[in-house]
Amino acid sequence: MTEHTFPYISLMLLSLPLAAILIWLLDVRLARWVALGAALLDLALAVAMVVAFDSSVGEFQFVESAVWIPTLNIHYQMGVDGISLLFLPLTTLLFLGVVVISWNSVRTMPRLYFILLLLLETATLGIFTALDTMAFFLFWELSLIPSFFLISLWGVGPNRRFAASKYIMQMLIGGVPLLFGFLLLAFNHADGGLVFDYLRLLSEPLGQEPQGVVFLLLLLGFAVKTALFPLHTWLPTVAMEGPLGLTAILLGIKLGVYGLIRFAIPLAPEAAQQFHWLLAGLGVIALLYGALMALVQTNLRRMLAFSSMSHVGLVVLGLASFNIEGIQGALFALLNFTVISGGLVLLTAMLHQRIGTNEVITLGGVATTMPLLAALFFLFALASMGIPGTNGFIAEFLLIIATLKSHTGAGLAALFALILGAGYLLAHYRRVFYGVARSQAILAAQDIRGRELLLIAVLAVIVLVTGLYPSVILDTTRSAAELWLNGRNMP
Amino acid sequence: MPLKLIPLIPLLPLLAALWIAIGYAFGGNRGEVGERQTSHLALFASGMSLLIILAVDVMALVDGTAPGQLLVGEWLAVGSFVLNISFTLDTLGLAMTTLVALIAFLTLRFSVNYMHREAGFQRFFMVMSLFSGAMLLIVSAGNAALMFIGWELAGVSSYLLIAYLFDRPTATASATRAFITNRVGDAAFILALFLTITWFGGVEWPDLLQGVTRLDGLGAGLLAGAFLIAALAKSAQFPFAPWIGRALEGPTPSSAIFYGSLMVHAGVYLLLRLAPLLEQVPALSPLIIIIGLLSTLYGWLGAQVQSDVKSSLIFATTAQVGLMFITIGLGWYEVAALHLMAHASWRALQFLSAPSILVQSEKPPRAVAAWLRRQRWLYHASLQRFWLDDVSDALLLRPTESLAREVEHFDSAVVNRVVGHVQSHSEIGTGRGVAGRAMEWLAIRLEWLEENLILRSGGEGLIGLISRIGSQAQAIEKLLERPRYLWLMIMATLVVII
Repeated sequence: MTEHTFPYISLMLLSLPLAAILIWLLDVRLARWVALGAALLDLALAVAMVVAFDSSVGEFQFVESAVWIPTLNIHYQMGVDGISLLFLPLTTLLFLGVVVISWNSVRTMPRLYFILLLLLETATLGIFTALDTMAFFLFWELSLIPSFFLISLWGVGPNRRFAASKYIMQMLIGGVPLLFGFLLLAFNHADGGLVFDYLRLLSEPLGQEPQGVVFLLLLLGFAVKTALFPLHTWLPTVAMEGPLGLTAILLGIKLGVYGLIRFAIPLAPEAAQQFHWLLAGLGVIALLYGALMALVQTNLRRMLAFSSMSHVGLVVLGLASFNIEGIQGALFALLNFTVISGGLVLLTAMLHQRIGTNEVITLGGVATTMPLLAALFFLFALASMGIPGTNGFIAEFLLIIATLKSHTGAGLAALFALILGAGYLLAHYRRVFYGVARSQAILAAQDIRGRELLLIAVLAVIVLVTGLYPSVILDTTRSAAELWLNGRNMP
Repeated sequence: MPLKLIPLIPLLPLLAALWIAIGYAFGGNRGEVGERQTSHLALFASGMSLLIILAVDVMALVDGTAPGQLLVGEWLAVGSFVLNISFTLDTLGLAMTTLVALIAFLTLRFSVNYMHREAGFQRFFMVMSLFSGAMLLIVSAGNAALMFIGWELAGVSSYLLIAYLFDRPTATASATRAFITNRVGDAAFILALFLTITWFGGVEWPDLLQGVTRLDGLGAGLLAGAFLIAALAKSAQFPFAPWIGRALEGPTPSSAIFYGSLMVHAGVYLLLRLAPLLEQVPALSPLIIIIGLLSTLYGWLGAQVQSDVKSSLIFATTAQVGLMFITIGLGWYEVAALHLMAHASWRALQFLSAPSILVQSEKPPRAVAAWLRRQRWLYHASLQRFWLDDVSDALLLRPTESLAREVEHFDSAVVNRVVGHVQSHSEIGTGRGVAGRAMEWLAIRLEWLEENLILRSGGEGLIGLISRIGSQAQAIEKLLERPRYLWLMIMATLVVII
């Protein structure tokens, strides 16, 4: 831990609300420019952090700590390690993408829209960097407020208000076990006092007995956000009704699994190992359930939502294996989602902006007038299927190898889901992009170009580069992943 | 010197594919103007690959030995598992790579004229470059994982070639089917890779082939079985055979070459590579022979009843590859290898000349042999391609689809009701008064109808009916627009009124 580092994280977290205030003060026409500037600034800061990061060390870096609420012993403590570092540039990139696709499409109250978007980005970055369980929890709950208003005010579906309240209710209910879990952790610490400091919780783990309860509480809380069966029902609803930008964020940034990796498993390590069957079971159910559901969907966004549920199931399955292939594959896969699922939803959003719908029945022949959109969608679909040359392959391969090693039956199920995955993606691809153009809107639509093309091209480059040269990611996560796997106390 | 360039053999065509794609995305090579640039690039890449492998050949001839295993570097390392970039250019690898590079180059050259002014010229050369890169990777790869990469890329590019004319529903359906059939083989390949990694710690061919001698019967059988399934799916053997019969939707004979004379042999090549493993499992040989025999019969009988030249060629291919499987089952690996090379070259020539033969020959296609016509059932079965597609539909596809439907129903009827938060009423709008209420009631019912009947039927059912009714109504309206009918109508109305 270096003593005095440049406060990258605080700068990132501060710049966004400041930009939000600026949007409030300035003219409506400048709103999107300020949002773009803030998103770019944070992306630059995140990239600078990646450059300055020392990946040979598994410990936390760029740690900033200050007492926040002294009576409760809560700290504003932030930092990143190899596990969380790469989420920052990819998250900021995805938010930048959302700003880009909202450029002309948000007509009503654009100022409020961009303010909420920036606040959501603040909360998301806070979740990835918080090293105090209470600070984490605050960011976690804070992310709900902008999401609620984004869904209910700018949703594309007719039932957007219902979707917003469904999302919020389920998330708030999921928050309760999380809070109890963190409180149990704080009260049961060896010191006797309240401890919310993640680093101390990590280095002096809990006794055997309370671990089981803590793990199950945290698992329950994170399972809601992860959309594990049967707590997944909010995901397709929000994907259908919510604004497409938010759908990209929800499908691309998998905060629930991150919570499992960061808090649930390392803070109750023995219990997590004991309950490996539970994790594996939840994983394999989500994997198959999502894949089967995706097969019969009639809307592109709903299909993508279930496909994302299926992929997350594979990640949880890989985590349950507790071996190095599993954790490395899981981290790789989570980082991939930001680019792949995010990219697919952004392309779907561009389609929606042109045709006005994502219902499969009204689409068809999109490739005739929008060859670039079709080709890029195909590239991201290939990555989602795990075809070599794309980053999806590395993650999927590692996860399947890890799973076959530890839970052979579940691994065979994953191989089956691999075939289903090709089935639902290609069947939907065929119906949407191939064939004869079904409507005037498709015939009149223009292909993607300019800033849209640039955005998707950047994502496509990431898909290919990390797919062909996976060491970029694997080397960054390696030390932290090994530390995660072996625990900090063991030599 | 040529040894250092070996990685370029599969890399150059892949780079050419990437460059064509980028050029198209940013408008550099579109339209007829871009054709020259595109084809030159693809030909250059393919030609350089060919030159490099020929140089390696010459070197091997001078030295008297093939270069063998070449390690280029580490690709990815996770824990104890390391994946290398390496190439195996032993006698088999060298011969196969030369053959593939040669056929790929000649086919590309042929396509330049054939595809002139076709829509999608750039796309075609992009996919062809991808395909040749993938094939070259399969035959030159130094380990199983690298071969798998080529294996899957070849699958993707064959999907793209079959779906080349993407406005034809049959073409895209066949492409999807071909890819998913191949995917079954890919899953088996991944299983085999896993077993290899667990048992031998690495996937390099020499490690694998030396390691197998230490395996017990069951282990070796499992490994060989997994590889065999992968080989059967790729080589379109029984019971995976039908996909290739549907794969002839591609634009030219030159794309047919790729799965008719190159990719279809990938499975045979895999088994040849694994010869020491197969020798370890004598119990598998009868199975391979039986599968080969069934495929040969399937291909031979199927070819008898085809009426177009491309289809009969592809069925003949299945039969010939079946023969190769039989020879492999018998343990005559050199024979199978020779057969492979001869067949690949001969079939490539046939596919390329097929369209010209069609144009120039005036003879009608030969009638089905008399003896086959007498065997009514056999004739029928051959015409129906032995119902293999229908069987796989009935046993795999439809059960999966209905399972998915049931899961969907379960999700909305049970899970959503128990866990979520169900919407009490739709937010279509609330009406006031009798008329408003009636309207609301109607709207809710119609929404239900749309969600449950129209959208789920995928558009083929109810929408088809509605559009038929619509077109008939339009026809009636057109009739009415003609003046004499209008007059008739007016007179009829008058008659009724009076």
